[in-house]
Amino acid sequence: MNVEELVREALREQAADQRPTGPGFADRVLSARRRRRTRTVATVAAAVAAVVAVAVGVPLLDSGKDDVRPAGVVQQGGIHAHPDQSPPRDLIAAGDAVLAAYYTADNVVKSDTRAVFERTYSLLDPDTGRYEKDTRWSYVAVAPGLKTAAVLERELPARRIGLLDLATGEVERWIPVAHAVGGLAFSYDGGRLVATTYDENPDLRHKETGSAVENGKTAERQMWASSMGSSRTGFSVIDLASTQASWTPVKAERDISARQDFAFGRTGDTVYSQVIGGRDGLQQFYDLTGGKIDAPADERYLRSDVAARLSPNGRLAALGLTKEVAGSPGRSYSSIRDPRTGKEITTVRGGHLLAWVDDKRLIAWERVTSLEEEYRPQLVLVTIGSDKVVPLSGSREESLERQGWEPVFARR
Amino acid sequence: MDAAELESFREFVDNRSSGLLKTAVLLCGGDRHAGEDLLQNALAKAAGKWQRIDEPEAYVRRILYRQQVSRWRLKWRRREVTVAEPPESRAGRSDAAAAAELRVVMREALSRLTSRQRTVLVLRYFEDLPEADVARLLGCSVGTVRSTTHRSLARLRSIAPELAALRPADAEAQPSRDFSPVEVRR
Repeated sequence: MNVEELVREALREQAADQRPTGPGFADRVLSARRRRRTRTVATVAAAVAAVVAVAVGVPLLDSGKDDVRPAGVVQQGGIHAHPDQSPPRDLIAAGDAVLAAYYTADNVVKSDTRAVFERTYSLLDPDTGRYEKDTRWSYVAVAPGLKTAAVLERELPARRIGLLDLATGEVERWIPVAHAVGGLAFSYDGGRLVATTYDENPDLRHKETGSAVENGKTAERQMWASSMGSSRTGFSVIDLASTQASWTPVKAERDISARQDFAFGRTGDTVYSQVIGGRDGLQQFYDLTGGKIDAPADERYLRSDVAARLSPNGRLAALGLTKEVAGSPGRSYSSIRDPRTGKEITTVRGGHLLAWVDDKRLIAWERVTSLEEEYRPQLVLVTIGSDKVVPLSGSREESLERQGWEPVFARR
Repeated sequence: MDAAELESFREFVDNRSSGLLKTAVLLCGGDRHAGEDLLQNALAKAAGKWQRIDEPEAYVRRILYRQQVSRWRLKWRRREVTVAEPPESRAGRSDAAAAAELRVVMREALSRLTSRQRTVLVLRYFEDLPEADVARLLGCSVGTVRSTTHRSLARLRSIAPELAALRPADAEAQPSRDFSPVEVRR
């Protein structure tokens, strides 16, 4: 007997051992469909945690080598690239880092004096591997595992948080909140959400008259500007297994923008948010009772405006742009540091580090234009110790008036 | 769904769900609960498009296979699978007992493959589909099916040393290189 024959025999024997489905199986399917597969949120959270555990446990060097993927994409080393698409239409991913969604944003005029800077999200449909526009949400955070997203409806601040099943596009569960929410972020393990609470819509804009120099003359110009202060009131931490929410007030100080969302620190027992100060990317940490604390040892040198933060094994910190080299296109380099000492270990290609793929590779924005031309970036895969970049998306048009599409990454 | 569609859906589930469940359980490495969940999700999806589906069985099977190879959606379903412990010693056992013992070892080894590896083996050796059909169902190249089969069989041997005495299969003679073409969708 050879191994194929034994596989065949073992599978047939195992299949023959299965007792038939029960008489009510059709009803079970139909009722599950009616409930839109409302597994208990505890199961969702457990699933998310399990996916994280599995993802962490996969030997990184082997990742993707046995993958079976839809045809028609680049199939090397777990990379799904569409360098001709901007914004993307089809799955972009590398290793465990997946472009789970992207959004565009624009001022939507509500009255003569007010507008709202509204996001329009396109979410990855895991069945088709395509990004589908979903205009229902003003804010979306995708959980690790890519099964669930936390969503806020159009009117901000929102009185309830939806847990969206990304496979069906339906909200599995609504979590009512006592304090209205404007922004959301998952913990690294996906088991909890931090919801930033506001008194008014943090994306509100007021019409203001400014002056601009045009053709050598100073001219008056109308613009939509965000509020000078912030209506931020604090944050709620929501445990997804129990859906228990606990709210913590945090006084809105003068050094924050109108929207200044909180996010969890790596271990989930702290939150941080950006503060405006002497340099870009400053961050203030808080414990979960709202008390200001020093940054945890591994996170003190991170920047709040560099989304990649710590590598999966926690040993490297992704920091900001340090060098640009002329050429066509120009080449950017960002700093990789020791998180404990802040000392630069090396630099890596990329002008803006967005997400770690594994402990050696990241996804970044990198320019496609020379240093003299207008800045236009595309998503690329970069590797520590290599000058090579692998384009993942088409290049994004940028202008002062209009923001390009913004990526939302999540871990598989 | 209107009343006629509901009736046709129920009839399909009553007639075909036991057969589909066998495949679903195999795809889940022998985990009955995970298999039922997988099938339930596939049927629920089919129910949503019932009036537009020409061949429900083929449609549901395609969802089963694709859901199972979709890494981020279903890895969490993997639970510990209880199988009978193989006896310590084979001395003095009949050929039939030794063969039964090997099948138990093989089941255990199959349950430890990745879902992608297992799906390809279930399609090739349980459903007896040619490589080209497997490739079409999973939306990948024939080369990928071939290399995944090769790697999966090799992996079974490395998981279970008891299988080392078996003759190599034809599929194992293939080089492990991935034959799939590199292409960019335009």
